[in-house]
Amino acid sequence: MTNRKPPLSLPLSRRAILRGSLAAGAGIGALSLGGPPLVFARNAWAENYPAIGNFPIKGSTVKFGFTVPLTGAYADEGNDELKAYKLAVRHINEGGGILSTLKPMSLKGNGILGKKVEYVSGDNQTKPDPARENARRMIERDGIIMFSGGSSSAVAVALQYLAQEKGVIFMVGLSHSNDTTGKDRRRYGFREFFDAYMSGQALGPILAKEYGKDRRAFHLTADYTWGHTQYESMKDATEKQSWHTVKNIMTPLGTKDFSQYLTAVLNTDADVLVLNHYGADMVNSLTQAVRFGMRDKQVNGKQMQIVVPLYSRLMAKGAGPKNIEGILGTVNWNEKLTDPGSKAFVKAFQDEYKEPPSQAAQTAYLQTILYANAVERAGTFYPPEVIKALEGFEYEGFGPGKSTYRAEDHQVFKDIYVVRGKAPSKMANQFDLLEIVAQVPRSQVEYDPKMMGGELGPYIPNKT
Amino acid sequence: MNLANLSLQLLTGLQIGAIYVMIALGLTLIFGTLGVVNFAHGALFMIGAYLGYAISEATGHWVAFIVVPVLLFVIGIAIERVLIRFFYNRPAVDQILVTFGLALVLQELMRWIFGGTNLPYGTPDWAIVPVDIGIGYYPPWRLVIVGVTIAVVGALYLFLRFTRFGLVVRAGMRDPEMLGYLGIDVPKRFTFVFGLGALLAGIAGVIGGPITGVTPDIGMAVLVPSFLVVVIGGMGSLPGAVLSGLLLGEAVSLSVLIYPPSTQIIIYLVAAVVLLWRPRGLLGARGVME
Repeated sequence: MTNRKPPLSLPLSRRAILRGSLAAGAGIGALSLGGPPLVFARNAWAENYPAIGNFPIKGSTVKFGFTVPLTGAYADEGNDELKAYKLAVRHINEGGGILSTLKPMSLKGNGILGKKVEYVSGDNQTKPDPARENARRMIERDGIIMFSGGSSSAVAVALQYLAQEKGVIFMVGLSHSNDTTGKDRRRYGFREFFDAYMSGQALGPILAKEYGKDRRAFHLTADYTWGHTQYESMKDATEKQSWHTVKNIMTPLGTKDFSQYLTAVLNTDADVLVLNHYGADMVNSLTQAVRFGMRDKQVNGKQMQIVVPLYSRLMAKGAGPKNIEGILGTVNWNEKLTDPGSKAFVKAFQDEYKEPPSQAAQTAYLQTILYANAVERAGTFYPPEVIKALEGFEYEGFGPGKSTYRAEDHQVFKDIYVVRGKAPSKMANQFDLLEIVAQVPRSQVEYDPKMMGGELGPYIPNKT
Repeated sequence: MNLANLSLQLLTGLQIGAIYVMIALGLTLIFGTLGVVNFAHGALFMIGAYLGYAISEATGHWVAFIVVPVLLFVIGIAIERVLIRFFYNRPAVDQILVTFGLALVLQELMRWIFGGTNLPYGTPDWAIVPVDIGIGYYPPWRLVIVGVTIAVVGALYLFLRFTRFGLVVRAGMRDPEMLGYLGIDVPKRFTFVFGLGALLAGIAGVIGGPITGVTPDIGMAVLVPSFLVVVIGGMGSLPGAVLSGLLLGEAVSLSVLIYPPSTQIIIYLVAAVVLLWRPRGLLGARGVME
């Protein structure tokens, strides 16, 4: 009873004093510098930016949107991505993971600019239209400040255009088409994952070394932007090694039975089958190609070979170790890397989900952290400033060596890996499906940003 | 392109058609007898594939080939008793909605239990190494599918044509009311027929699974071509289903040789042409679904 009043009155008066001194400080700052009060850092300054997309943020939390395929041909990858996004949000809010390994790092493990991160997620069915609807709802109804997801480059490209239109940054998830940061590059889209051109450059010389120079390749290709660009890239890279391209057949995404196409392969004198497929498509086409005897067959006096330019552990698991043994391909990242960042991420993921992360999970996780880090460095959520913070950003401490977000096309450049399916007898556990054959240096896969054309577009949307 | 290569492509068409026929048979049997358009048929196929994978992993393939169809028969009977029988006298739209809903429930149930990842359902060891059939090497498993399909079609024909039960089923298709007056327990026969349809889906799933892959969405993936097979063949006609299944299989296979991108639309193109020419399908009877 007696000590009821003082606690009430004391904080009130302290706040009043604080308010007074703040105002005074601002006044002095403005007077002395003859301009904006720089003393109060960029946070206070943010209020002066015009509204773009869902900026400025109201309230003490900020929302991310994750649109991933939980059904369709790339459902496995989507499920793994979502797990990684959840982990990234937790690490941003509470610390942990690569927050202590990635350099330079501005995040402190207490959210972004003091705001806690929340998220919404949705199933994009591996299709561009549901993905666009999904993301639009997140932007318009949920008020997200950033969205991320994939897989499928068709989805990524569609979402990049939406991002540019709405002024909401899109951190591309799993997408390997050259177009994503090539002709369809957008100012509001950023891709960490490597692309088909890099796969071709990395794989070409190793294929020639392993299988010889005089080879005749038949391609089966997923019929959308990614497949098309991977076919072009693989064709160029292998023809540079004086391989001959016999034929290419486009197959619809989501095909279950490839027998009619595989019979057509047998009807030629091709001695290499290149499967420009991913996810469930690749699991099916590879398994069936093996059953058609394409790995035991002798053509032109040579052992027939199968190549899977874009590999992943999830696909290797789906196809089964017997079918992938010895088959070459490329990956963006592998869970066996021993750098501190990869180890921290794998450990956090494994503790949470009882299995190692895939490369889809890795890029999803990293992209989320990179965005948060860029906001923290920019000192504002104002999209053009965040974009500028990401453009040309150099970082290390997760995966191979130094990585750069190239300003001209928003593509990350770094070393990539050539891998090979492990023999079942050599597997240490059920996840140990791929072995790293080579770490291909960044210099070998880099290219001129003008090579693929494309325009990023303006920093301020709707003013094209 | 020589004769051997063309034969190989024809064989592939036959084999694709065989899978279509296997799935369409159960579909058309259930529709022809019960008048129910069973959208859950693809889901029954999917369950057959999942059970086939699980049982063959545990006990080997032969047990799976016997046990899975029997299990599907039981599942089919349960579904008919608990759900489908309440819809015989309701509009077709209600039947489609309830079976479609059932398909979604079964699909998500499998996703819940097994996850969304493709399960590596292999063929038996003796069917792994491709065999030389004179025109080239071919995966033995796909030949087995053709053989099993021929056997199943034959058995089904004999069953419906020459047994007393078959007679009752055929009579039930014509006039179930009259059959009831004659003192035959029609609902019991209907239950059995639905179980039989599910059993056929089980056979298709357990032998087709190694080819289609084992994921929750294969049910929906196989359902669309199978429905086209039923519609092109003529709703409720078993010979029609066999004929149109083979027609579509060959169309898919041969279109690759002529113009590969056309395989994506060829089955719809064939459907459009056939239905313009014969609106009831190839062997469709008058008065069905009209």
